[in-house]
Amino acid sequence: MLETRSLSKSFGPIQVTRNVSLKLEKGERRVILGPNGAGKTTLFNQLVGEITPDAGSIHLDGTDVTALRVADRARLGLSRSYQKNTLFDGLTIAENLGLAAAVALGKGQGLWSDPLQSAEVRETIRDVAAQVDLAPHLEARVDAVSYGIRRQLEVGIALATRPKVLLMDEPTSGVGPEMSKGFHRLLKALPRDLTILIIEHDMDLAFDVADTITVLNYGEVVFDGLPEAARGSQLLKDIYLGAWEDA
Amino acid sequence: MFTHTPLRLTTLALLALGALGYALVAGFFGLEILAEIAILAILVIALDLVAGFGGMVSLCHGALLGVGAYAFTLAASDAGLTALPAMGLAIALSAALAFVIGAVCARSTGIYFIMATLAFGQMAYSFVFQSPLFGGDDGLSGAPRPDLSLAGIDLNDSRAFAVYAVLLVVLAYLVAAATLRSGLGRSLVGLHHNEKRLRALGLTVWRAKATAFAISGALAGLAGCLAAQHTQYISPGLLSWTVSGEALVVVILGGLGTLVGPILGAILFVVLKHEISAITPYWHAIVGLILIAVVMSRAQGVFGFLEARMAARKSQPLITEVKADA
Repeated sequence: MLETRSLSKSFGPIQVTRNVSLKLEKGERRVILGPNGAGKTTLFNQLVGEITPDAGSIHLDGTDVTALRVADRARLGLSRSYQKNTLFDGLTIAENLGLAAAVALGKGQGLWSDPLQSAEVRETIRDVAAQVDLAPHLEARVDAVSYGIRRQLEVGIALATRPKVLLMDEPTSGVGPEMSKGFHRLLKALPRDLTILIIEHDMDLAFDVADTITVLNYGEVVFDGLPEAARGSQLLKDIYLGAWEDA
Repeated sequence: MFTHTPLRLTTLALLALGALGYALVAGFFGLEILAEIAILAILVIALDLVAGFGGMVSLCHGALLGVGAYAFTLAASDAGLTALPAMGLAIALSAALAFVIGAVCARSTGIYFIMATLAFGQMAYSFVFQSPLFGGDDGLSGAPRPDLSLAGIDLNDSRAFAVYAVLLVVLAYLVAAATLRSGLGRSLVGLHHNEKRLRALGLTVWRAKATAFAISGALAGLAGCLAAQHTQYISPGLLSWTVSGEALVVVILGGLGTLVGPILGAILFVVLKHEISAITPYWHAIVGLILIAVVMSRAQGVFGFLEARMAARKSQPLITEVKADA
């Protein structure tokens, strides 16, 4: 469903992505682990087209999308949430979800009707709000709700496009343990045919939801395999998991 | 998102009815002022559509108005078209030019967007100013008014022309409101709040911006047609950046991003201009002071102030009740 072949990227003398090859099957949930500065978010930025790789290629559902722009990739079913909330602050939660759904349905440039009143968009708002537990807050303005709700909306907007592949950049970043558990439930409840790639530092969540785990270090894939194998890997303990094991 | 609140609808209805009522009783001078207000009102509705809702602050709307005025005059006087097809052609030309400007400037934001639109506006101004086809500094005359004699209306009559101008303001408002309630309008507001996210959701940002700019340009072109019909003489001054700057002042004065507010701003601006200029030639300074007061008060223009007052009044009874209970 999503594949990278020998992806590489440098910023000046610093190589942030080194020959990264990944292959996600349809419905696979893969967690990307790695210390700060390992190049995880840079990899995401290349996958969605916000950064152009220096070498290598990206394939979505069999199509080479390396040369496609951000919006074109999104229209092919690639959606992402951001580590730092990237919302429509002056609008309500319903309008945020509705706008995402309208654009994904190709109604974002129409002139003859209000997409927010269309049955399809309203149904998406309702469904996604239920999925990410935002139904009670639909009419609240985004700039008036708590950080936790904004994190839920961040994921909700990505889901409202009905993606084939969902990239989630640290969905639990900055939230408390209770809300983190909520994200566990959310991820578990998502349709099994949805392919998900998650950057996550919450190890409980990572090992709970992952079918496979990829570990990046200095932009390079140093581990790619099952969660059980990851748990036993000495290399991972050395570069990343030591602190988690000690804790 | 744009919504028709009861206050906005009431204000709009009162303004339209008030203007039409005034058109029936006003003398010649009053009717001229009413037509002047209508032209400015259409221009500021056009500007508010992209600046207030889309965050695309433009300094080329004067040029788009001027292109509409010149295209209408040339099409109606030199090319021999009747007034209505000439208006259609002029509006289409302004829209096409605005689409190109919007497409080119779409990549820039903030001060860079403003400067890019200013550059386009000044290019158009210089071209018209220096080209003999457009009469150079002398301008052009002879723009006809639409012939509505079949309906028994003579637009050469100041009263009929003022009513016609007010009805065009209503039409411009309806077009802008319909745009804002469409998919494009929703995206336009979204772009103002977070362009990066909308792009990541699959929106072709440049096309959305250019299309919104084209609709705004069409409305500015309509204002240009009306300006040409009003004075039946046009000069390059119509395309000057100061016209765009004045329109921006009026939008901020009336209420950026409210659509109704800029119409109020246009009324205030034209009336103040005529009233204060009768007392002192330094009327710009007085308007400047008012603008500074509006900006410093952090109210969203005159209409934003009204909306805030109404919202405060709504919450007033509840506070009184609590105090009474205490």
